[in-house]
Amino acid sequence: MNVPGPLGLSGDSLAACVQCGLCLPHCPTYRVTGDESRSPRGRISLMAAAELDGAPMDDEWLEAMSTCVQCLGCETACPSGVPFEELITTTREVMSSDRPAPLRLRLGLRLLGRPRLLHWGVRTLAVLQRLGLVPRSGLFPARLPLGGGQRRSTPGGDVLLFTGCVMDACQPEIHDAVVDVLVAGGRSVERTGEAVGCCGALHGHAGLRGEAMRRAEAVMAALPGDRPILVDSAGCGAALKRYGGLLGTPAAVAFAERVFDVHEWLAANAELLPEPSGLVGQPIVVQDPCHLRHAQGVHGAVREVVGPYATLVELDDEGLCCGAGGAFQMLEPELAGGVRERKLASIGRAFERSGARTVISANPGCAMYLAAAGVEVRHPMEIVAEALEDRHGR
Amino acid sequence: MRRMSGRTRDPLLSALISALDAQRVQTGDGARRLYSRDASVIRGGRVGVVCFPETTEEVSACVVAALAHGRDFVARGAGTGLAGGAVPCDEPVMVVLTRMDRILEVDVSRRLAWVEPGVVNLDLSRHLSGTGLHFAPDPSSQQSCTIGGNVANNSGGPHCLLYGVTSAHVLAVEVVLPDGEVVVLGEEEGDSVGYDLRGAFVGGEGTLGIATRICVRLTEDPPDVATLLLDFMSVGAAAETVSAIIAAGMIPAALEMMDQRVVEAVEPFVNAGYPTDAAAVLIVELDGQPSGVADEIRQIKELARVHGARSVRVAAEEGERERIWKGRKSAFGAIAVIKPDYYLNDTVIPRTKLAEVVQRIYEIVEEQDLIVMNVFHAGDGNLHPLLLFDAREAGVMERVLAAGEEIVRVSVAAGGVLSGEHGIGLEKKRFMSLQFSPADLEAQQRLRSAFDPVGRANPAKVLPTGASCGHVTSLGRLPDGAWV
Amino acid sequence: MSAGDACMVAFQSDVGDSGAVCVRGGGTRWEVGGGPDGAREVSAPVGIVALDPAEMTVMVGAGTALSDLAGELVIHGLEVGMKGPSGATVGGVLMVGRSAMRRRRVGTIADVLLQADCVGADGVAFTAGGPTVKNVTGYDLCRLLVGSLGTLALVGRVILRTRPVPARSLWLVGEAEPERVLDATYRPSCVLWDGVRTSVLLEGHGEDVDETAGRLALLGLTATEPPVLPPGRGRWTGRLPSGGVLEVGSGVVHQADDGGPPTVPDGVRRLAGRMRASFDPSGRLNPGRDPYRVAA
Repeated sequence: MNVPGPLGLSGDSLAACVQCGLCLPHCPTYRVTGDESRSPRGRISLMAAAELDGAPMDDEWLEAMSTCVQCLGCETACPSGVPFEELITTTREVMSSDRPAPLRLRLGLRLLGRPRLLHWGVRTLAVLQRLGLVPRSGLFPARLPLGGGQRRSTPGGDVLLFTGCVMDACQPEIHDAVVDVLVAGGRSVERTGEAVGCCGALHGHAGLRGEAMRRAEAVMAALPGDRPILVDSAGCGAALKRYGGLLGTPAAVAFAERVFDVHEWLAANAELLPEPSGLVGQPIVVQDPCHLRHAQGVHGAVREVVGPYATLVELDDEGLCCGAGGAFQMLEPELAGGVRERKLASIGRAFERSGARTVISANPGCAMYLAAAGVEVRHPMEIVAEALEDRHGR
Repeated sequence: MRRMSGRTRDPLLSALISALDAQRVQTGDGARRLYSRDASVIRGGRVGVVCFPETTEEVSACVVAALAHGRDFVARGAGTGLAGGAVPCDEPVMVVLTRMDRILEVDVSRRLAWVEPGVVNLDLSRHLSGTGLHFAPDPSSQQSCTIGGNVANNSGGPHCLLYGVTSAHVLAVEVVLPDGEVVVLGEEEGDSVGYDLRGAFVGGEGTLGIATRICVRLTEDPPDVATLLLDFMSVGAAAETVSAIIAAGMIPAALEMMDQRVVEAVEPFVNAGYPTDAAAVLIVELDGQPSGVADEIRQIKELARVHGARSVRVAAEEGERERIWKGRKSAFGAIAVIKPDYYLNDTVIPRTKLAEVVQRIYEIVEEQDLIVMNVFHAGDGNLHPLLLFDAREAGVMERVLAAGEEIVRVSVAAGGVLSGEHGIGLEKKRFMSLQFSPADLEAQQRLRSAFDPVGRANPAKVLPTGASCGHVTSLGRLPDGAWV
Repeated sequence: MSAGDACMVAFQSDVGDSGAVCVRGGGTRWEVGGGPDGAREVSAPVGIVALDPAEMTVMVGAGTALSDLAGELVIHGLEVGMKGPSGATVGGVLMVGRSAMRRRRVGTIADVLLQADCVGADGVAFTAGGPTVKNVTGYDLCRLLVGSLGTLALVGRVILRTRPVPARSLWLVGEAEPERVLDATYRPSCVLWDGVRTSVLLEGHGEDVDETAGRLALLGLTATEPPVLPPGRGRWTGRLPSGGVLEVGSGVVHQADDGGPPTVPDGVRRLAGRMRASFDPSGRLNPGRDPYRVAA
């Protein structure tokens, strides 16, 4: 039942929150500020205020909503099953139609839909980086690639690897690692490449529903058939799996069912993985990207897939967000920094406990944001790829 | 955080902003709305100013500013209280302690820690992992609630059966008294010097001052833990088993009961393998050294058999233990799959009267045409009937409150007390005279007046005398004053 | 009216509403805190009123000898977490407020008192606390009363928490550091240290006690009789006085004579003064006695 308010939220979804507060510690922005208006419970209460009681959506209200990272840690924690993603996404869509996103964000997002321009830009940046002209931030890896990499791709192969936009341009070596592992396991892989481009995750995140839908339609049109689509970026995977809900068409639902996080797919096809050496693996700290743990719920698969090749060390923060949050780190740098501080402290404790010096993260956004703070971050598939004999020789 | 205008003509605001800073003093409509309530069903609270102090000195400055400008002050932690203890009445200064969340010192050899009040209960035990120690009080909200809130409410939890409630785990506490003076009550070691003012302060529900540093006792992790799930075809049989376990001279670490409706609600959420067709299940946790634990498992299996348990399952590994407990601790939230709102009552009765009183609760709820789920600390007779309703339904709140009141009356008549762990707050102060005579209440007022002669610290709470809070109501539309 | 209630009415009448007054128990710690200057002495009711093993509580007159109560409880396999000199009364031990040596197992003395039926300075009877083992209803007057030396109200009858008596008790002693002994045991009931030797009390299931004793034998600890401690008390200051025995973890030193009272910050003293004046504005309860003039 939708209530006739300015946000068009579901009355039942709002009423599902009993205000128990069990979500509070799982909300990164509440953790940093200690402020109810930066918490899921508070945001839901403010949504209800606007929707049901006609409270004004003033600056204070807008700030409460725009400071949500949308990590969905609250949804995992909520015993009442409040559909927070639905509530915040709808709210942000209404907000973005009233209040355009900042210009730099809009320009950045437009670039994501133009892979060739993006690749060119990244190579330019890579050159500037090597000249020492780019300050270190969480937006790019510390050392962007200059050239094309190996780019092994088999058109018509057994499976599709969704290569996306930023990751394809900035971190092609991760896609290479995935391809190496799959090929060694006897599967041919077709990269989706520049023709397919961006999945629209960041557009949806920023409340730009129209653009996200256009991206979804373009991606679906470029990838017909029934081959499984493997994704090695948790953020992209979560977005692709939600095309059904986004477009609401049977075709989109069917498409979403073809999408798998690469670890999820490999955990179900473990016979493709390389033979473990049998030696005790190096200690490695596992960081769960929110889009893997809370949005997709498949963070267990990372442990299953990497477990045989390393001694996995768990963090003690129950999957709290790292602060990257797509464009969040750019829009709310101070708050994001505070969130990252907590994650770094947790990583520090895990390092101290275990002697580990490396973190694995299945999402490029998290990886880059943590790396910008000086942490050595690798993709889980890179660890698996190292177990391949032909890689050892290199 | 929303920025306040640096210049303001309101002298209270000016004082608070100069003591803290503009970012940490909030008066917006949103902030006033969010801090007008806690996790209870009580609505209509009115906030004056919301402050986020970060030090003892800042807390004291907030208190002094409130006094100087004729305002009350109300301390607040995570706002997970269920009795309205942190609901503001007369536009007070809200002193929000969530930013004071540092663990200041852990002394493993002396088994104590100093923490700030905003430290989340479970965070302390997580922080201690690897030391072989933990913080024993474990209210169901422990993942969210703060230790300052635990001190204010003298919080309990399942494991308080063996280990005692919060007061037994607070050694000393630094308090900003209601006149702004800072004192340390209690000692790191040993019995109290002079009056046990620390003991008097704990459970004061924010009416005796504000805790700003807390010295807690740390408890050794038991070398062996066993979690048992007992399955019964009647609540009566489960209740008899509880009495039999205690009468046999065992004090389990925890002894919890959940009735069928609770089990049905939480099982899909946690997949703990609860028997959804059982009338009641008991969760029994035994801890200690291995031989004692093994012996108690044997005894409990035998007692369960004698009292008609259908099965006894001993959790085989840590994951299974955690799932069994997660179901118990998620119960209050999981009700949303049945109805969107709940009213959680909290009374204690003699444990030998469990079967009789629980049966009576089913009847009371039936009479009011409501739904009840029973999930409670059976081992110490601490009932938690959970009344489910949809506040959007006309007239439902009157029925909920009528049932709640009858449950309280039945509990007291059975030789019980009003609250085992949630406290009195606004919710139960009108019931205080059911349990206490005017002379009893006057003695309690004497304690309170010694701490707060002026009556500015959360004044409308706990005792039925004194400040009222007429505009506050429960969820739904009640006439003013009908609730408190 | 029950016999117990009649005793309380008589007690209330004895206390009255004027004139300096105090309750005399066994008199075993009569000197603690000084006073009472010229106060009329009354006695609290004697006898066990109700004992319910399945509830783990006992209601008893405050004038009952602690040894009499213990003797009755042990028949049911129960005990209370209190200890006092021979001849001490239940009320007297509560008012002095010293925890039992076995506090690591039985809890502090403040945890024992669930309900107290009192007579206030105005001669009016009131009840503090409640009858159940768990209770957070209203203010915790019971904890305030324990250790108050009868300066806030006079206690006539109490409900106490009982506990099961451990199946097995064993004292061990040996020349090992207390920390090492603590590390090698799980929740011992008492650990004592005389500067050279550490004594430890193990209580619980027989096989667990034996198993722990076996581990402690490796540290050189052997079975011994329960220790006899010097009569005085002091507070641990980091140094053990000659002949003193530290109760490890409790901050209490058992020594020949009572130590001096600890320094109390002014703010706490002022609060305590307000507390006493609030309960006894005319100063008729145990005049001259001061809970802050006590060693430990």
